[in-house]
Amino acid sequence: MDANEFDRLLKVCRISLSHDEKGRIINDIEEIIKYFNTLNEFETGNTSESYHAIRIPERLRQDKVEAFQNINGILKNTKTYRFYVVGPKI
Amino acid sequence: MSSSIKEFLSKEKPEGYYKKLVNELSEANKQLGAFLNINETIKNGFPFSAKDNLCVRDVETKAGSEILAGYIPPFNATCVERLSNNKFSFLGKTSMDEFGFGSFGLNTTCVAKNPFDTAYVAGGSSSGAAVATSILKYHAALAESTGGSISNPAAFCGVVGFTPTYGAISRYGLVDYANSLDKIGIMARSAEDVRTVFDIVKGPDSYDSTCVDMKFTNINNKKIFLIKQLLDATDEKVRSEFDKLVSKIREMGYSVEEKSLEFIEKAIPAYYIISMAEASTNLAKYNGYKYGFKNENFSEEYNRFFTESRSKFGVEAKRRVVLGTFVRSASVKEKYYRKALKVRSLLIREIGELLKNGFILTPTMPITTPKIEKAVSLTPVESYRMDVLTIPPSICGFPHVSFPYSYPNGMPLGAQIISNHFNDYALLDFVNSWETSFRYKFKYNIGDIR
Repeated sequence: MDANEFDRLLKVCRISLSHDEKGRIINDIEEIIKYFNTLNEFETGNTSESYHAIRIPERLRQDKVEAFQNINGILKNTKTYRFYVVGPKI
Repeated sequence: MSSSIKEFLSKEKPEGYYKKLVNELSEANKQLGAFLNINETIKNGFPFSAKDNLCVRDVETKAGSEILAGYIPPFNATCVERLSNNKFSFLGKTSMDEFGFGSFGLNTTCVAKNPFDTAYVAGGSSSGAAVATSILKYHAALAESTGGSISNPAAFCGVVGFTPTYGAISRYGLVDYANSLDKIGIMARSAEDVRTVFDIVKGPDSYDSTCVDMKFTNINNKKIFLIKQLLDATDEKVRSEFDKLVSKIREMGYSVEEKSLEFIEKAIPAYYIISMAEASTNLAKYNGYKYGFKNENFSEEYNRFFTESRSKFGVEAKRRVVLGTFVRSASVKEKYYRKALKVRSLLIREIGELLKNGFILTPTMPITTPKIEKAVSLTPVESYRMDVLTIPPSICGFPHVSFPYSYPNGMPLGAQIISNHFNDYALLDFVNSWETSFRYKFKYNIGDIR
C-alpha cells in the first residue's frame, strides 16, 4: 500500500494519526496485508460465501409502525435542544 | 460436580455477607483490575458480572474504549435482563480489550492481571471476566467471544469458558465487534454452573433476528480427533502437558485419532479479514455526539468534527478500522473479503464433517501464559497468530469449552473441546465428567461462606 492509498483510507475512515502513529501503523498494515495475501495461494472455485456460520431463518418483523417507548432513554446520552439531538453543522 | 449456584441459593448467608463480599472484592480488585465498577448495593441473589461490552441499565458501558466514556445505556442486554429476572444479581462490569480487539487484555486503560501471578497476562479479550471467575467463590461471568475471547482468558486464568453455537444467546445489548462472529458466552468454576446460566440466557429474542430457536442435540460418540496442523502450531511445553491430558482422556474410554485438515491454516487470515471488515462498519457509528465521548465543537467543519472525535480510538482500533475499510474496497473486495467468506464455507464443511463423528480436542492456547512485558512486545501478526487454536471453532460458529487440566510451574493450562453446531450440552457433559477426576485450583475464594 503506498502513502497516497493510505491517506485516502484514513480520510474515508475519518481517522487522523500523529506522525509517529502513521509510521508505525503503515508498517504494521504492510505486514498484515502480506499475511492476508496467503489466502490467495489457493483456489476456492465456485464455493459459496458464508455470511453466517449457521442457517438463519428469515424472521423479519411485520411492516407495521410501532410506537417507541423509551425516547427519554435515547436522549439521555446526547446533548439536546428541546427534543432534538444536537450534532455538527452540515 | 454439583452446581455451586444451587448450593449458594439454598444456603443461609451470614449477616452482612454481601457487604463483606463487596469490600473484599474491592480490595483485591485494586491489584487485579478485573472490575471497572462494583455494585455496592447488591443485597441478594447469585452474583454475576457482565463484560464491559454488555449493556447494563444505568451503568457506564464503554466496551473498553475511551470513545464510549460516559455512555449510560437506558436498557439491559437480553442476557443481563434474563439473569436479573432469575435470582441472579449484577455485581459489576469487567474489563476487556477495546471493543474485543486483543488476545491479552492489554489494549485498554484498565489492564486485568493474572490472579495466579500478577506479572502475567490474564488473556483477552474477556480478561476481567476470567479474573473475576478465578477469584470469586460464588459467581458467574457473562462474557463474549469473537475469535476466542472466552477460551483464551479462561485458559490463562484457570476457569471454565463456554462459547455456545453462534446464535444460541441473543446479542441484543452487545456493543458489536463483528456481527457474524460475536457470541455471548459464560465463564464459571464448573461446567454445571455454566449449564445453569446457559439454560436461563439462551433462546430466541425478538430483538435479535440471528438468535434462533435451536434444537440442541447431545451426541457423544466417545471419539476424539486431534488436528495435526494445530498440534504443530503448539510450543513444546504445552504439547508435552497436552499429551498427558490425551492419555487421561483415553483412560476415560475415548478413542483418539489424529487427522490432517486441508484448509485449517487459512482460518486466521480469513477470520481477521471478516472481523476487521465488520468491525470497520460497526465502529462508524462512533462520531462524537451519539454515544459516549461528546465533542462539543459543533461549529467545526463536518468531516473535521468526526475525525477529531474518532481520535479517541486506541491504536489497535484505528489499525482495524483502516484495514477493515481496505479489505472492503471495491478494487480488492473479491481478493480479500469475498475470498475469506468462501474460506469460511470450506472450513465449516471440512471441520463439520469431522465433528459428525466425534469431538475435536486442542490445547486452548499455543503457549503457556506469557508475562505482560513479553505480550506487549509482540507485533500485530505475532499476536494474531496466538489465536491459531481458538479461531477455527470461532469462525465456524462451533460450540467450544476451555477447561483447566494442568498447573505446570503454578500457572493453569487450558484445553479446548469442540463440537458440531447445536451439540453444546454434550460438551458441558464432557467437561462435567472431566471434573469428577480433576480438581481445579484457585488462589482466591472471595465470598466463601464458612
